[in-house]
Amino acid sequence: MKLAEKLSENILDKLSIDFLRNQVLKNAYGNNDTRIAKMDPRILIVWYLFFGLVPWFVNDLPFLIGCFLLVSITIRMARAAGLVLFLFAVGVFSQTGYLLLVTLLFGGDAAAVVPLLIMTLKVATVSLASITVFSGMDPDRLANGLMWFGCPERFSFSISYAYRMLPLLMEEFQNVLLSYRLRGNPPEHDGVIGKIRYLIYQIKVIMHSFYPLMLNTAKRSRTTVEVLEIKGYRYAARNKDVRKIKLSSLKVTNDDLLFASMSFLWVAVAFLISTIL
Amino acid sequence: MTSVIKTEHLTYTYPGAKQPILKDISLQIEKGDFLAIVGNNGCGKSTLCKALNGLIPQFIRGTFSGHASVCGLDTSQSDVGALARKIGYVYQDFENQIIRPTVLDDASYACLNYAMKDYIKRGREALEMCGLEGKEEDYIWQLSGGQTHLLALAGEVALQPEILVLDEPIAQLDPAHADRIYGVLRELNETYGKTIIVIEHHTEYIADYCKHVMLMKDGRVQWILPVKEALQRVEELQESNIFPPQVTIAAHRMRKAGRFPTYAALPTTIPEGKDAFSPLLSRREKGKGLHLRGNSSPEVVSFQKVSVSYRSVKGEAHTVFRDLNLNIHRGDKVALIGSNGAGKSTLMKMLVGLIRPASGSVKLYGCDIASVKPEELSRKISMVYQNPEDMFIQDCVEADISYAMEVRSAADSRQRTEELLERFRLTALRSRDGRLLSGGQMRRASLAIGIALNPGILLLDEPTANLDIATRKEMMRTLEEMKSITETVVIATHDMQLVCEWADRIVVLWNGEVVADGSRDEIFGNRDIVKKVGIRPPEIFSMGQALCPQALCYTVDEFLDCFEGRKENNEAGREAV
Repeated sequence: MKLAEKLSENILDKLSIDFLRNQVLKNAYGNNDTRIAKMDPRILIVWYLFFGLVPWFVNDLPFLIGCFLLVSITIRMARAAGLVLFLFAVGVFSQTGYLLLVTLLFGGDAAAVVPLLIMTLKVATVSLASITVFSGMDPDRLANGLMWFGCPERFSFSISYAYRMLPLLMEEFQNVLLSYRLRGNPPEHDGVIGKIRYLIYQIKVIMHSFYPLMLNTAKRSRTTVEVLEIKGYRYAARNKDVRKIKLSSLKVTNDDLLFASMSFLWVAVAFLISTIL
Repeated sequence: MTSVIKTEHLTYTYPGAKQPILKDISLQIEKGDFLAIVGNNGCGKSTLCKALNGLIPQFIRGTFSGHASVCGLDTSQSDVGALARKIGYVYQDFENQIIRPTVLDDASYACLNYAMKDYIKRGREALEMCGLEGKEEDYIWQLSGGQTHLLALAGEVALQPEILVLDEPIAQLDPAHADRIYGVLRELNETYGKTIIVIEHHTEYIADYCKHVMLMKDGRVQWILPVKEALQRVEELQESNIFPPQVTIAAHRMRKAGRFPTYAALPTTIPEGKDAFSPLLSRREKGKGLHLRGNSSPEVVSFQKVSVSYRSVKGEAHTVFRDLNLNIHRGDKVALIGSNGAGKSTLMKMLVGLIRPASGSVKLYGCDIASVKPEELSRKISMVYQNPEDMFIQDCVEADISYAMEVRSAADSRQRTEELLERFRLTALRSRDGRLLSGGQMRRASLAIGIALNPGILLLDEPTANLDIATRKEMMRTLEEMKSITETVVIATHDMQLVCEWADRIVVLWNGEVVADGSRDEIFGNRDIVKKVGIRPPEIFSMGQALCPQALCYTVDEFLDCFEGRKENNEAGREAV
């Protein structure tokens, strides 16, 4: 019931930029008090390397189901934002899910269903693992983790700065779109042809909005570039000590080890079951 | 006293410019000073500040000659990082100065970059000095404008510089936040011994807080004087488009009319004004204050029991309005006031259909706004944003003005565009990109765009924010002229001079509801409301009230008209002469 309510409420404002902005923020920073967010980013990155790669190479059903169940639990722990999960569902369904459903509906036998189920599980597991890691972790911790693995400082800075800029960009975008909405003259949108014309008009407006958006952003970044210089961004990129200080905040705790060993145990059991069967 | 800043024959030309922007500047600034730099737009104030922290000439090239040193470091030789630990700079567009997503992170970011092991401690100390303790873990988009400014300041303070430079620190803030910023600056100056330099147009704040004033004109320093002395030079300041405090202007005009002794110094603050004026002036008997005449024209906008709340990233949704009721009639000239975050912009966004109320109804000409199509809306109502850049969606001013008419294939589009260009003095700028105009020009262009479709209702969000006083006066003139063009106008603003001189009706928002609604006499004369909401009336109004609690005068003219010279004093004055 609650879900239905939530969905109907969501669909109403699905397209408002305000909602998108809120979801992006929620996704990036809204759940920094979850178990996943508190974990050491390095452990999570290694964890992700396993769940992001291994399922592609294994075709064993019980093992895949095991992995899928595990990432379903972690996604709950990460408390991912609604929109992301919705996009995930749409994504999986449009990849292989619809084939699976159609096959089931039209009485496909096990020979047809199993391969499709395996494919769907693979896609779902890998996506959920990605969402767990990238939405559960705050971008800064992710950036620090990547830096530990030797990613260049510039790359990890870009990640956290992009997240910092996103809400601003979206707000600006919203204002520019509002200008079009208030001053533009969209075609009538009654009937099918009208609807299509309206859709084309809207896509055009969104494309046109990028020009003012980019110019406004360029204007803003003039100050930011100077500030980065003053605040020693270039200096830090050359200095080994800064890197050390930044990475000293990373610490593997008991919780991390517990999480890692639980995951390992779970996978081992799933593997065991699949060999017994 | 030792000087912390010293320049000798400093001359600088921006790359590609023909004229130097700084011309042969030689100056010294003492340690522990609180200096205000004043001057016309484009006279080189910001450029001078950037030359002090080494951005010029090290980061921004151009032709640089002469010598500048800060705490003994040569600005053209020492690296920007070393200079940043001596001199901090807070930009006018301070929100772009925030790099990191959380408060403590941003405050300590520079220290981390310069590999200071105690960077977190320094960040925390800086936040404490700037009055942001308790906000360490907050995200930057949760902060109000004033708090964001304090954070930008804290980011500089964390490096423990000797000198702090702030470019127009209070241009976008309501009076309460502005006082807070200056309070923090005074604390930094007096308790921590920092040298503070502000570029400032608000001379009332200069009179209250600063120690010295430096006047710049056409890239040259005219003089550096103690505040009292500097503000006496009323005519010289006005020539550079700087307007001394209203108290000072009033006294200056009285002196010209022979009503203020020539030997006495002009008062610069209200307490000084009280001492100076009370023996000289008495209030003329006048009728009672004006009441809002009931406007019997039909309602054009009505809010009924409207509630709005924002989703927040975490936790409870933030409620902006709860059961808001408000009617606006045809022909009303309404000023919407209230502190930052009181919901002024939200109210306007509801009227253009951008935000939908959670409950209640918003009606425009009697129709529920949800049922009106946006394209129909634009003939009825138009909005000019706080940030005029977002109004420009084409690549030149002319195209932007005509856009709404062109897409509607209006027959007289070309002619009307010409008229608007003419009326808003944009004809010479017609082919320029709106974003690259100066602040005042940008505002004029945004107004022209806003009224292109001749809407019945015009909403203006902070039309005078971020403008220097001269441009602001010009803007007020333009708004006055527009009264005859657009029937109903609503302005959301902190600018109380604009409110007093322009509005017929003032609506005060506080804590999500309308707490007062009436004429200026009813609002400013109501001490409870003024105190509760934290309204800062124009200085001259407070001056009048300090002399006589019944006085209600909003401009210098009204003040001079309201108070007459005391007979006995006039005679005594004559004898003395």
